[in-house]
Amino acid sequence: MSKQNTHGKTYKFGMVIDLDKCTGCGSCMVACMSENNVPFKEDETDKKDSIAWMRVYKLTNGKSFPETEICYLPRPCMQCGGKGDHGHSPCVSVCPAVATDYGHDTGVVSQIPVRCFGCRYCMAACPYHARYFNWWDPKWPGEMEKYLSPDVSPRMRGVVEKCSFCYHRYQAARDKAYYEHREEIHEDEYQTACTEACPAGAITFGDLHNPSHKVHQLVKPDPHHSGRPRNPKAFRLLERLETNPKVYYISEKEWVRKAGDNYLEGEWKKMNKKHG
Amino acid sequence: MDSALIPEGAKRCSFPKFAIGIAVVGAVLLWGVFAMLLCWIKGLNQTNMNDYYGFALWIWADLAIIAIGGGAFFTGLLKYLFGIDELKNIINFAVIIGFICYSSALLILAIDIGQPLRGWFIFWHANVHSMLTEVAFCLSCYFAVLTIEFIPNILENPKLDKVPFFHNLSHNMHGVMAIFAATGAFLSFFHQGSLGGVAGVLYGRPFAFREGLLIWPWTFFLFTFSAAAYGPTFTILVTKITEAVTRKKLVKENVINLLAKISGWMITIYIIAKIIDTIYWAVSTAPEMGFTFMDFYSNNPVYGVSILFAEIVIGGIVPGLLLIFKQTRENPRLRLIAMILAVFGVCLNRWVMVLQVMAVPVMTFDQWAMYIPSWQEVATTILPVAYGIILIALCYRYLPVFPQEQELYAGNEQGAES
Amino acid sequence: MKVDRRCFLGLGLGVVAGAVVSPPGAKLTDDLAIWTQNWPWTPVPKDGKVTYEKTTCSLCKGNCGISVRKVGGRPVHISGQEGHPVSDGGACLHGISGLQYLYGLTRINAPLKRNGDTFEKISWKEAVSHVADRLNTMRENGDADKLACITGKERGSIPELFKRFMKVYGSPHYYSMSDMNTTWRTVAETMHGVNADMGFDFENATHILSFGSGLLEGWGSPVNNFRINAGRKDKGGKLVQVEPRLSNTAACADRWVPALPGSEADLALAVCSVIMKEELYDASYLASYNTGFSAFTRLVASTYTPEKMESRTGVSASDIKSLAREFAKADKPLAVAGKGRGENAGDLREFAAVHALNCLVGNINSKGGVWLNKALEYLKFPEEKMDADAEKGLEKEPEPSVASLVEKIAESDSSQIQALLLEEANICYTMHDVDRVKKALEKVPFKVSFSSFMDETAKAADIILPAHTFLERYEDLPSDPTMSIQVVGLSVPVQKPLKETLNPGDAVIRIAKAMKGVIAENFPWKKYEDCLESGTGKLWDALSDKGYAVVSDKAPAKSVNADLSFFSVNNGKVLEIAGDRAEYPFTLVPYDNMRITSSEVVSSPFAVKTVSDEEIKGKDSFAQMNPETARKLGVSQGDRVKINTPAGSATVRVQVFEGVMPGLIGMPRGLGHTVDNPYVARKGVNTNQLISASIDPNTGQDAAFGINAKISRV
Ligand SMILES: Nc1nc2c(c(=O)[nH]1)N[C@H]1C(S)=C(S)[C@@H](COP(=O)(O)OP(=O)(O)OC[C@H]3O[C@@H](n4cnc5c(=O)[nH]c(N)nc54)[C@H](O)[C@@H]3O)O[C@H]1N2
Ligand SMILES: Nc1nc2c(c(=O)[nH]1)N[C@H]1C(S)=C(S)[C@@H](COP(=O)(O)OP(=O)(O)OC[C@H]3O[C@@H](n4cnc5c(=O)[nH]c(N)nc54)[C@H](O)[C@@H]3O)O[C@H]1N2
Ligand code: SF4
Ligand code: SF4
Ligand code: SF4
Ligand code: SF4
Ligand code: SF4
Repeated sequence: MSKQNTHGKTYKFGMVIDLDKCTGCGSCMVACMSENNVPFKEDETDKKDSIAWMRVYKLTNGKSFPETEICYLPRPCMQCGGKGDHGHSPCVSVCPAVATDYGHDTGVVSQIPVRCFGCRYCMAACPYHARYFNWWDPKWPGEMEKYLSPDVSPRMRGVVEKCSFCYHRYQAARDKAYYEHREEIHEDEYQTACTEACPAGAITFGDLHNPSHKVHQLVKPDPHHSGRPRNPKAFRLLERLETNPKVYYISEKEWVRKAGDNYLEGEWKKMNKKHG
Repeated sequence: MDSALIPEGAKRCSFPKFAIGIAVVGAVLLWGVFAMLLCWIKGLNQTNMNDYYGFALWIWADLAIIAIGGGAFFTGLLKYLFGIDELKNIINFAVIIGFICYSSALLILAIDIGQPLRGWFIFWHANVHSMLTEVAFCLSCYFAVLTIEFIPNILENPKLDKVPFFHNLSHNMHGVMAIFAATGAFLSFFHQGSLGGVAGVLYGRPFAFREGLLIWPWTFFLFTFSAAAYGPTFTILVTKITEAVTRKKLVKENVINLLAKISGWMITIYIIAKIIDTIYWAVSTAPEMGFTFMDFYSNNPVYGVSILFAEIVIGGIVPGLLLIFKQTRENPRLRLIAMILAVFGVCLNRWVMVLQVMAVPVMTFDQWAMYIPSWQEVATTILPVAYGIILIALCYRYLPVFPQEQELYAGNEQGAES
Repeated sequence: MKVDRRCFLGLGLGVVAGAVVSPPGAKLTDDLAIWTQNWPWTPVPKDGKVTYEKTTCSLCKGNCGISVRKVGGRPVHISGQEGHPVSDGGACLHGISGLQYLYGLTRINAPLKRNGDTFEKISWKEAVSHVADRLNTMRENGDADKLACITGKERGSIPELFKRFMKVYGSPHYYSMSDMNTTWRTVAETMHGVNADMGFDFENATHILSFGSGLLEGWGSPVNNFRINAGRKDKGGKLVQVEPRLSNTAACADRWVPALPGSEADLALAVCSVIMKEELYDASYLASYNTGFSAFTRLVASTYTPEKMESRTGVSASDIKSLAREFAKADKPLAVAGKGRGENAGDLREFAAVHALNCLVGNINSKGGVWLNKALEYLKFPEEKMDADAEKGLEKEPEPSVASLVEKIAESDSSQIQALLLEEANICYTMHDVDRVKKALEKVPFKVSFSSFMDETAKAADIILPAHTFLERYEDLPSDPTMSIQVVGLSVPVQKPLKETLNPGDAVIRIAKAMKGVIAENFPWKKYEDCLESGTGKLWDALSDKGYAVVSDKAPAKSVNADLSFFSVNNGKVLEIAGDRAEYPFTLVPYDNMRITSSEVVSSPFAVKTVSDEEIKGKDSFAQMNPETARKLGVSQGDRVKINTPAGSATVRVQVFEGVMPGLIGMPRGLGHTVDNPYVARKGVNTNQLISASIDPNTGQDAAFGINAKISRV
């Protein structure tokens, strides 16, 4: 929440995931693990202590055979702008040690493992379960330490980690632009590892402020309503909590869009009349 | 053997007997210390906490301890600021209980955090917007105040009192204690409140989130109020337990009844506020986020409306009413029941505000999360209890905690324990 | 003031408290925090210059183009290669996990020789001469035909070298693992009289009718299909998925038609009957190119009417009709078979019936249709020199498939096969009735594995000549035959070999050179790379330059005959799965999940980590069943049940899933490995343990797609 270096260009990076294209293949999850030095344990089947910055949820429409439908929903950190999109993200506003902070120049919610002292208040605050605690010392068995990337420091036991929108890729793009005396980085210069990996092309990434970027065109964020999508097929998870995520989802399926938030009986119909 | 240390005129059990008692509790304490070391050395994988239950048994214990330790600040407030002088007869004990609760809370936090050696970052890199920062500052400051409040009592130990410096110090400290009590009350007010704020500000968690006043959610005020209301019941309860264990009357009935009466009214007023808060939350706050009241109380094996009933009716209305009415209040048995129910009620409230918050799914495709603490968590939670018992035993044995003790039981039969 | 003990203690405490806030105390406090930020046991990855290298992934037959990011020469991340004709920037989770194979925990460090129950390390020289001596002796004894060889892949220079070795050695027993392409080739031969690979132009089809093909489960070239599916969504193409279980493909499809497992052929023929009856077929195509059309018309009109097929297929007559109309009236319809990933051979009757749909709509060799691609023949090796021993051995008949070879070994008393070479073939895990396979292998006295990893089959070997992993080696990798276009990719080493391993091509060359007679002469290359370069001939320039070569990207000439007489002749030969329904009332059908490999390659720790807790929980895997099935059995989510089949039994947990047909039990393939890697193995059940081979009477291939089973509570 502290003001950061704001000279130069500011962005609002965001992600749009087309759920109709997502096949649940898991490439995004693994690309993220590989890119960000996410560790693994012998037993990762307790999903409540399995670190996955990107987690793909399986949703069902709840109907019985053969009316059943399923949909996969990839969930990185939503990089919440918080109420009014002022940077008071649920997690940032509660972290007592400013170990997670809002980047006003990028819209990215940082996580500084060396600052974090492991109180886990941010985890309690995040309704998306996007935050993961290092319950164990990370271990890379055999020689696997050798594949670790120097771009992202491995975290120690006792601290929280989460998706950073591959911030190190932004830094690299920014440095490159700086060397080339450019104010602005190009859309293709900063793409996250999951976006790049998705073989279905379901993930789109870019600057939500920039009308020429695909993400902007896909969801048409409403600047007067903290970036709420104007595309009726687009939605954000738990929109009603006013967390103001920068991750948007698109689906033609009504039940999928409805699953994005909680509605009282009859409310969905009422609220969605305007979109037909 | 240790008679020189025992306050003059006080009857205490023999040293070996005392030592055995302490050893038994000490064994439990060591068990807790062992679990604590496991958590520090091997890490929090020793617990059954997980990414859904980042806050669990310990944080509950922390909140509950602080709530019931609220007797210290509230009794202090009543005595020093409102001038209710009878309370001087129980104030020492209230301070000791407060000291135990707050030191335990600090210890629990030191075990609970993943990087204890970086715990001080909370002060150094403080985020003033975080309720936890407020908690940390108030907790530490109030602990310091409680220590200061505790010192004169320690210095009254016959051996220490012989040192003129300590004697004078103690005397002078008593003189300025009102200032500390006031500071303590103020700090504790914020501390209790900020603990309430911890859950109330979580606008991503509709079960916990509350609207409020300025930066403080209603839970901030409810927590402060409930600690003030329920804290004294715990002070009385522990007094009664101590009396039972020592088989001695330590505090006069009128003092107990006075505190119980104040507590009864406070609980009743609190519970009305809590009911209003719950109704407002159920019909306005939660539905605006798309939740019905029953969403929070169904589809899971533990958290049904009975929890709410237990908290508000059994742990709130019932003890409140029992303590308001003279007949029930002055009936020792009913009063005891009221105390037990009250302590249960406030602890349940803290449980709900920590554990149920974690359990409720927010995303439509998420599921209720259940959790059972590991033995290490249980042991470290019992650790402060054992520590408290030992400290109370030591204080009772060596310090003139209860000013009325001798007056009440001059010439009476010898006490048994401790 | 007298300082007594108590006072001293008090002062001591004060000193400690003071110390913390004193300058040295503060420094120490700070140092402790800094220490926690730099724990020596938390690795600090080395920095260095960033470079990218292109290569081709061969963890599956997809052969995607990948890009490896290196830091200071150290590979750190794998991603897809933009513009690659197969995968265009995409890569699947297994390919992305590639570095976990490079540094795999079960990698074999050096050549090994069995010594009782353990292995001992030997030098390459010893290993090669050991194998060569053994094979020389066999050949001298006139037992050349008692050597068998199984390679995982069937195409490319490495399998080609093994094939060549077998030929000049004089054994007919060279096999590669069968898969759906084996069956597709039989379809091409049976219905078109050509020796061709069948490629599917999904990219340009507007209506895909898939009979259980897991297009999003890893069918064919997985990433290629993912990308095509995404493109289909953009272009508004339709996908209709016929499958008894709501797979990810079915979930992404526009229409899901659950048909009884094993009834696909009947359903396809019923759809044909509607097309015939309503004359929705491509008359102009059939007018000029058909055989057996009228007999086929009569057959489907009499036997396969939608009404008659209702109960057989579980699909209503009206649904069958609408399937037919939607399909035949589409601009570019395309029907496809090959269940799941198609890693097993298919039922010929089913494939042929589905392909009859393509013939009826006349999409053969046209845009958006089926392409009968001439099998890739880019490899040119010198003509083999044969001697009398070789000629003699080759007079013997080979078995039709690895399944029959194993059967033959299992059945015979004195072993018909005395030595077995196994390359990229983990048959002790991947084959049906795997316990029987293991027993059969015990009868073979000399087994040579060329595996990089200590997999189930390597564990059973007598000698292991470990191979470089795909990231350490050169190899030409022809694209999957189901792709419409034909591409050859090149795998290049992005990392110097980490272990004492060899390219399997080099291993064969070295063995051959140590052999007597004409064998050595037939392997004139100094090393595998020379063989690769000269063998790929004209393609080499493109391969070495771009990393791939597009051999063909156009539909072959349309003038190809469609012969529908197969059904009139073979109508009776229906594939049966094992197990009497009275005793085994449920049908167990293993399913493929993109996140779990089920080939010879074991899933990586990353991939296993992504698997749902409704598929693996602790050490248990799950059996999916409809709530109705669960109710009948009196079980609920998470309960343990025992599954019995004629092949074996296993204990699993119940996963209640609405998307699976009542009576059907789904179990994920690829679990239950027994390799020594706690991160990926000993989790769940290998379904191959529960499935017995079902030999297709038309082909002799094992085409089992499931088995009848019974379930009891435990
Ligand atoms: N984006 C971004 N901004 C940052 C930082 C960051 O990391 N990123 N870091 C911050 C920090 S920590 C710092 S210290 C500041 C540094 O910010 P600046 O002090 O602006 O640092 P430099 O650009 O290193 O040097 C300033 C100028 O001094 C000139 N110079 C070199 N030697 C001499 C000399 O002997 N005499 C004179 N007169 N000039 C000399 C150099 O040529 C250069 O033009 O930047 C801050 N701002
Ligand atoms: N070539 C070249 N070298 C230089 C300079 C230069 O101009 N040119 N400038 C020099 C100057 S002036 C400076 S100030 C230095 C800056 O050099 P560094 O100190 O290395 O600077 P940063 O990269 O800003 O920060 C280091 C890391 O600290 C992390 N971090 C953030 N908060 C905390 C925290 O609370 N605790 C811990 N432990 N880590 C935290 C950040 O995420 C980051 O990864 O570089 C010096 N080196
Ligand atoms: S998704 Fe969670 S972790 Fe991410 S910004 Fe929002 S609240 Fe914070
Ligand atoms: S766990 Fe770390 S990041 Fe989260 S609130 Fe606590 S200090 Fe901040
Ligand atoms: S944006 Fe980067 S850090 Fe976030 S989920 Fe994707 S790959 Fe992981
Ligand atoms: S990689 Fe793409 S298709 Fe696969 S799960 Fe992730 S978002 Fe979905
Ligand atoms: S689909 Fe096959 S070839 Fe392509 S990246 Fe995945 S494993 Fe490798």
